[in-house]
Amino acid sequence: MNQKLHSVIRLFSVVLSLFIYLLLFVAGSAYAHGVELEYNISEAVQVTARFDSGTPMADAQVAVFAPGNPAEPWLIGICDSEGRFLFVPDPALPGLWEIQVRQAGHGGLLRVEVAEGALTQSTAGGFSSTQKAVMTAAVIWGLIGTAFFFSRRRP
Amino acid sequence: MHIPDGIISASVAVGGYAAAGGFTWLSLKGITRQYKQPRDGVPKAALLTAAFFAASLIHIPIPPLSVHLVLSGLMGVMLGWFAFPAVVIGLLLQAVMFQHGGLTTLGVNACIMGLPALIAALIFKLRYLFGSEKVLPNLILSFIASFTAVALGAALAALLLVYATPAYLDFAAEHTAVLALSFAHLPVALVEGVFTALVVAFLLRVKPALLESGSK
Repeated sequence: MNQKLHSVIRLFSVVLSLFIYLLLFVAGSAYAHGVELEYNISEAVQVTARFDSGTPMADAQVAVFAPGNPAEPWLIGICDSEGRFLFVPDPALPGLWEIQVRQAGHGGLLRVEVAEGALTQSTAGGFSSTQKAVMTAAVIWGLIGTAFFFSRRRP
Repeated sequence: MHIPDGIISASVAVGGYAAAGGFTWLSLKGITRQYKQPRDGVPKAALLTAAFFAASLIHIPIPPLSVHLVLSGLMGVMLGWFAFPAVVIGLLLQAVMFQHGGLTTLGVNACIMGLPALIAALIFKLRYLFGSEKVLPNLILSFIASFTAVALGAALAALLLVYATPAYLDFAAEHTAVLALSFAHLPVALVEGVFTALVVAFLLRVKPALLESGSK
């Protein structure tokens, strides 16, 4: 009796393990539900594109040019709604990376120096509003001066 | 409307410079024909160049875009042949000071804004057909001239940008963006048309001689 029960259990366990094995085999080969995740931390470049009025350049098109190849973009993409674009330059290509952002003919070129494994930051353009006001005033004063010069009475 | 550096190809930029040079030559010829003393026109041209230079800093938000005043129509109406050289100088100052536009694209931009200014001048000249001292024809013609100048400038810029879209860009998206930007200039054209008409109305009352481009 005890022996009979034992053999039933044994048979059952064999069937069960076969079933599990089958399940694993089928799942592993056909569905690949298992995922391998890797990560490595690297330095990325985040570009923020705004019009000089401060409005972000939403959905502007971005072309990234690797050093030494100004004709063919290394990567193309689109800014998000805040005018941001993120990419990781290939550290195997050190040098001056060019990032061109454009939308409807508005645009600019940003250069990022990628040294071996390190980035240096730079910005393109951008004066403070005080600087802008002073520059505008200087130019306008120059033009008013020109007007005065040419409107003076001639002997 | 100001095309920055690096957007158009070198050949288009050179072509723009050539065309702008041609128009400048034509304008200088026109100025010498029109004025006994060409320097008499310089003070007015210098002051309007100042206005043109500063106008591009005035932004008009038209969501999702932001456009700025151009004043090419006012330049044409007020200056006649002087408008083109004045636009070139204004654009040069904008490019050097604010990187608004660019030095390589100066020629192209001069054509985009200067040519409509000359056309505005021609349209405003029609007032001599209706009697230059009557107010209504002056107002209507100055409005039409200024409106046309901005609309034509936007159309020229759009044509050039669509033509010069590099192959790697998403053409459809860029096309849509350019189209949106062009239509955003319609309100600017209206505003500038009204503004120019107001300036003309004011000058007709105060000093009509300022509207005569050229010493007779």
